[in-house]
Amino acid sequence: MTDEDISEKEKDTQAYAALGIGLICIVVGLPLWWKATEVYRVQLPYSDINGLSEIPLTYTAEVQVVCFDDVWTKRILEISQLLQDNLSKTTGTEIKANYRLSVRERTTEELDIFKQKGSVPDLPFVDDELSKSKLVSGDRNKYYIFLVPKLFKLDYAYIGKHHNILIRPLNDVTELVKDISGIVKSYVIHEDSVEKSILNAKGARSLKPDKESMRSVRYNPGYDITFTLTVPQPDILDVRWQIEEAVTAYIESMTNKLTEYTSFEIKSQLQYFTTFQSKPKYDESLKEYYYQEQNLPQLINPIESTLGTSSSNNPELNFIVYIPTRDKSPLYIRDKNGNKVKSNAFLSPRWGGVMIYNVPEFNSSAALPYLVQVDMRQVMEVFVSQIRLLLNVNSAAQLGSKNVVFEPVGVAGINDIEIDVWLRNRCAENLATSINTLQSLAQLLGQISNIVIKDDIGSEVETAVESIKNSQKLLQAGNLVGAFQASKLAIIASEKAFFDPSLLELLYFPEDQKFAIYIPLFLPISIPVIGSIYKAIKHLRGSNKAKKD
Amino acid sequence: MSAPMIYQKITKMIVILLIFLCAPWLVLSNTSEEEIGEFFKSGHTNNWAVLVDTSRFWFNYRHVANVLSIYRSVKRLGIPDSHIILMVADDMACNPRNPRPATVFNNANQHINVYGDDVEVDYRGYEVTVENFIRVLTGRLPPSTPRSKHLLSDERSNILVYMTGHGGDGFLKFQDAEEVSNVELADAFEQMWQKRRYHELFFMVDTCQAQSMFQRFYSPNILAVASSHVGEDSLSHHVDPALGVYVIDRYTFYALEFLEKAKPGSKKTMGQFLKVCPKYQCISTVAVRTDLFQRDPNQVLLTDFFGSVRNVEILLNTLALPNITLTSDTCSKSSCGNEEVSSRSLKYADQFPMPV
Repeated sequence: MTDEDISEKEKDTQAYAALGIGLICIVVGLPLWWKATEVYRVQLPYSDINGLSEIPLTYTAEVQVVCFDDVWTKRILEISQLLQDNLSKTTGTEIKANYRLSVRERTTEELDIFKQKGSVPDLPFVDDELSKSKLVSGDRNKYYIFLVPKLFKLDYAYIGKHHNILIRPLNDVTELVKDISGIVKSYVIHEDSVEKSILNAKGARSLKPDKESMRSVRYNPGYDITFTLTVPQPDILDVRWQIEEAVTAYIESMTNKLTEYTSFEIKSQLQYFTTFQSKPKYDESLKEYYYQEQNLPQLINPIESTLGTSSSNNPELNFIVYIPTRDKSPLYIRDKNGNKVKSNAFLSPRWGGVMIYNVPEFNSSAALPYLVQVDMRQVMEVFVSQIRLLLNVNSAAQLGSKNVVFEPVGVAGINDIEIDVWLRNRCAENLATSINTLQSLAQLLGQISNIVIKDDIGSEVETAVESIKNSQKLLQAGNLVGAFQASKLAIIASEKAFFDPSLLELLYFPEDQKFAIYIPLFLPISIPVIGSIYKAIKHLRGSNKAKKD
Repeated sequence: MSAPMIYQKITKMIVILLIFLCAPWLVLSNTSEEEIGEFFKSGHTNNWAVLVDTSRFWFNYRHVANVLSIYRSVKRLGIPDSHIILMVADDMACNPRNPRPATVFNNANQHINVYGDDVEVDYRGYEVTVENFIRVLTGRLPPSTPRSKHLLSDERSNILVYMTGHGGDGFLKFQDAEEVSNVELADAFEQMWQKRRYHELFFMVDTCQAQSMFQRFYSPNILAVASSHVGEDSLSHHVDPALGVYVIDRYTFYALEFLEKAKPGSKKTMGQFLKVCPKYQCISTVAVRTDLFQRDPNQVLLTDFFGSVRNVEILLNTLALPNITLTSDTCSKSSCGNEEVSSRSLKYADQFPMPV
């Protein structure tokens, strides 16, 4: 063996070694680097998420018609058929209403309730008694329609506090059916408002403002309500209010009914030496001060800064009672036409309400500070109405007409039909919102490659998808409360997934900066490796040729 | 002169007098009608502002003055502190080199102390980072974050984003260590749009090559203005010899001049605002981007972004509630609790151990 052979062999070994290292770099190094720098992403159910919006939404409500007169009891079948036809004519495009209808004869018990108070039925009494009787259960989403017997004089439809609707006696069957379906659709179920809440949740950013969606707060698992009494001159007026007792008396009945669905944190505070900054105008003839409608927006800001902030992140609703200063009272709000506003109050959308409370005039020689007790009924009348508007409880007073009469809500604050409507609307809104949130999240993940998705976000997304499907099913089956609770879970999970802080962990790490990090790291290693591979390949090719020769 | 002539003259004078007397009334009634119409023209119910100064150190005094001046203006025009996120990377008022401690001036005449009496800085010093800024915009803050540090805007919010600092082509430097790139910013705005966190957004940036910051935006309803084109520097306005540093940047100076003239109910439009600081004043060229914005800036009120004109609704109908006599218990929930607390013996906390 010559020296040449040995050196040739050595060169071969070198070449194989270089190729081996190169191979390790490519086979082991590259995948390892790829794996190690990969953005961690849990597999999300993308197709499920995209499919969610394709499932047609339907809700079911149960309607039971109770006939009293023989004229109708003979025609039960006809009525039920006509009514079913009429009710199934829905106009909604986003969500469809479905009615489970039954028509039956009255029981003697029910007739007795009607007859108890003579020929003019005492409607609230009948309403209460009917709900107490066993035949009418107090379930949600079940409505009882009583065709009032002819011997009673009633020339309008009456919608009670509970789920009972009394329909005036009519002679014609088509007229009767039209009456029933009209009332059910627009006064009991509020088909339009369900449709509207979905549209608002979906496309609220269309530039067309819609008063109701602008005014009311979106659904949240909790709200903070703060009542503030603002006294600019505590040295002159010693104003007292029984807010704790008033809240118990007037507000709690409402919040207790909703507490299953959303929580309320109610607080109150007293604020001294805070005044409206803009000056009111003076009416010489009436000797009173007033603000015009266009002055009102500027009143809130200076007061708001002193209200303090709450520690929770729930939406805040502020309600302010403002006592005018002595030199500017009495102080009134006037509308566009210059008329005094009876309530002397206004609201700001999604924020709360302000009420100007004029204290009675007192003798200038009275000892100061003059003690004033705020009439809490007057204050609560305003604030309960405003809370209802801000929470988007469809106000009966707004929608009533001369043919349809609502039992006034009174101290209950919210009645059963309104709770149903509220639940149905919020459920639809939550579904639309959480579907939207999930779809935006999915879309963003496609657009922005740096977002990390951890396991817990994956499971939140799965919970949300599951809950949405569940809610859709329950809504269709007519289980309103179950559907609502599922939609609540869905919105909480989807919001949590979208707003999780870990989504941002890698976001501020642009692609071009990665080069700046890798080049000084990889260049010193890769140049000798690539160089020696090139050399080795060249050498092996050369020696092959030499052997052939 | 005959009697009929005198009579005619008198009637003429009366007519002229009447016209003079009525003229102000006519004008007044016209404007009030316009105002009412405008309340529901724009689709927003609330305003938010995110004001960011990204640079620290004494020689960057002017950036802090910039941001505090804008803060002062939007607050004066009506955005409450709770709706302003103010990020200031350095505390100029308490800088040991500040010859007038606890003040920040934006003018050599030292007319206005922009630090003022009530400045609520939400993110200060080293809290001003790219991460925190993006987190504020996208809402992805840790659950322990207090309410005042959140941008709690919704699909009916108009947001003003103002940024100032040192920038280059495609980035804006934060502190001294990191930068936000225009791609990240565009992505952040897209995430806001997807989650319906704004209705309309006005982006205003005063930095070198500022135009590059909004070039990558792709989300709708954004109106953007920058103090300079790509390749241009933004310049400072004037130096205060007493402080020894430049006190304000040119673009912000002229923008403020415009804003100072506006009052809360002002009828000035965004179109007018976008024309602020022509080249002979700014030296750099102000860049504007309107293609993403769906309304005509000339029809948009300045106060849609720089102020807070709320929509209000007069309450016409109230519920009738029965009169309930409110009986106050001798021991209500809160007062009872207090008594229990006071019965416990109280003691002072241990003093912090001090080195002798």
